[in-house]
Amino acid sequence: MIEFLTNFLSTYGFLIVSMTFSAMLALSLYLPLMTGQLSLASPGFYALGGYIAAWMSTELYPPLATGTTFPIPSLFVEMLIAAVACAILALLVGVPALRLRGIYLALATIAFVEVLRVLSLNLDVTGKAIGIFNIPQPFVTKIEYLYISLPMLIVCIIFMYRLERSRVGRAFRALREDELAATAMGINPTYYKVLAFMMGAILAGMVGAVSAHFLNTWNARQGTFDLSILVLAYVIIGGSRTFWGSIVGGMLLTALPEVLRAVAGIQGLPPFLTGFLTEGRLIIYGFLIALGTLFFPQGLITPEFLRRFARPPKASTPTKSKPLQTPST
Amino acid sequence: MSNVVLQASKLTRMFGGLCAVNEVSFDVLEGEIFGLIGPNGAGKTTLFNLVTGMTPPTSGRLTYRGQNITGLRAHRIAALGIARTFQNIRLFGNLSALENVMIGQHLSATTNTVSSIVGLPASRREENKTRDRAYELLEMVNLLSKADDKARNFAYGDQRRLEIARALALNPQLLLLDEPGAGMNPNEKAELSTFIRQMRQQFNLTIVLIEHHVPMVMGLCDRIAVLNFGLLIALGNPAQVQNDPAVIEAYLGD
Repeated sequence: MIEFLTNFLSTYGFLIVSMTFSAMLALSLYLPLMTGQLSLASPGFYALGGYIAAWMSTELYPPLATGTTFPIPSLFVEMLIAAVACAILALLVGVPALRLRGIYLALATIAFVEVLRVLSLNLDVTGKAIGIFNIPQPFVTKIEYLYISLPMLIVCIIFMYRLERSRVGRAFRALREDELAATAMGINPTYYKVLAFMMGAILAGMVGAVSAHFLNTWNARQGTFDLSILVLAYVIIGGSRTFWGSIVGGMLLTALPEVLRAVAGIQGLPPFLTGFLTEGRLIIYGFLIALGTLFFPQGLITPEFLRRFARPPKASTPTKSKPLQTPST
Repeated sequence: MSNVVLQASKLTRMFGGLCAVNEVSFDVLEGEIFGLIGPNGAGKTTLFNLVTGMTPPTSGRLTYRGQNITGLRAHRIAALGIARTFQNIRLFGNLSALENVMIGQHLSATTNTVSSIVGLPASRREENKTRDRAYELLEMVNLLSKADDKARNFAYGDQRRLEIARALALNPQLLLLDEPGAGMNPNEKAELSTFIRQMRQQFNLTIVLIEHHVPMVMGLCDRIAVLNFGLLIALGNPAQVQNDPAVIEAYLGD
């Protein structure tokens, strides 16, 4: 049993940690979407966070003695700096860009991701086309990255759960439902849109910082337009009306190719099927995304779906027939 | 004499070559119900949009309790105590009635963004207060039993009342109602009139309303302004307006 578990974790350690990263990247796109802003900028902030961590750990910190691991507190410092840098960049980009709506904002944020990518291809500090490699490892095995990524994900879940039930979350959703009506309620659209955009950017940057260590090398192939679309697929397939959708979507779609590979490995399958499952798994992947959007246009996880599991809401005891108080102001 | 709450002077809004509101000037007095009538396309809703900051005026000046509010953005104007409803109901359709009314109380919060997300005790208390108040307002418009239903599934009349509850949630001093009686039969309109009077009483409101149904306007409003093709053609108490030749012509033609 122990042996099986060790085997399983060493085989799938990389995948399991990747799933937590994907879930958080999906959340980083879901946050601006809560205010109705379709922003595909997450991979740009993800790349920036990764470069900050890669550069700091290879250039700034003293080289590690052989046989020692990269100190975790240093990793936290990198994550913090990545978060601050992404927040500042998001503020600078967000204030002008969030004047755009719908597909135009999506285009502008794709352009933002491209600008960062081309910059990283040409700057010395980012290692040009080669990128930054030999990023020191804080852990010996990949699965141990769960010590960082799992608490991060749990904090994200608690944060999102609170956010959706708070006054701020309601303001976000009001803007998504009807911006004009929301402003008539006194909701400042610029403030809340930029706030949501910054929250997403900070999360993507922190995930990028950990990912750089996790992947050992960081270059211009991280955080491209491809990733924008992939993360968008996580949110759309998972469900874009509750944060659980992003988490489930990110995890499922990241695991899917590996699950198909494992299914292909089952003994006794006809050879053509094994061949299709191994060679054609990207075809299956695309096909499932198409099916998902056809049959689950709201995504897999919807608020209505969640309500079935929720404990019945506290019996609301509104003050029956109590005369309405005249407001004091 | 009563105080002037809202003052428009030579308010103008052009859309390209079309003058939707043309040098309109009027005062709205404290505590009155002020009617705004006129044929379709006369500029009534545009005038509402100007007052609430949703459309900036081309020229002219708006004053609210002595303060210049010309060109302020909509959320700033809402913060001054001016609430409105919309002609084509604009509820937050995918949210419950309760959430709609809670969002209406957005401005009454005293705790900040961080505290509200972290859920500090002060924010939790405030959250409970907000919810209780939302239930009170829903009860007032007879929608308490539907508090948890999605706004988009509401019947038309219920949506109208929910929108009023949401506007009242702002604790406004000036309430703008854009055709609150649209689509209602005469009985319902009579009930609505009673409700509007009761609201004014209970909340110390000043109300400006757009309404097409002449008997309702005449019975309800203290003063009436008549717009036609963006021009203010008459202003006065119901009897004066009713007998104004310009108004008769605008409504009945030659």
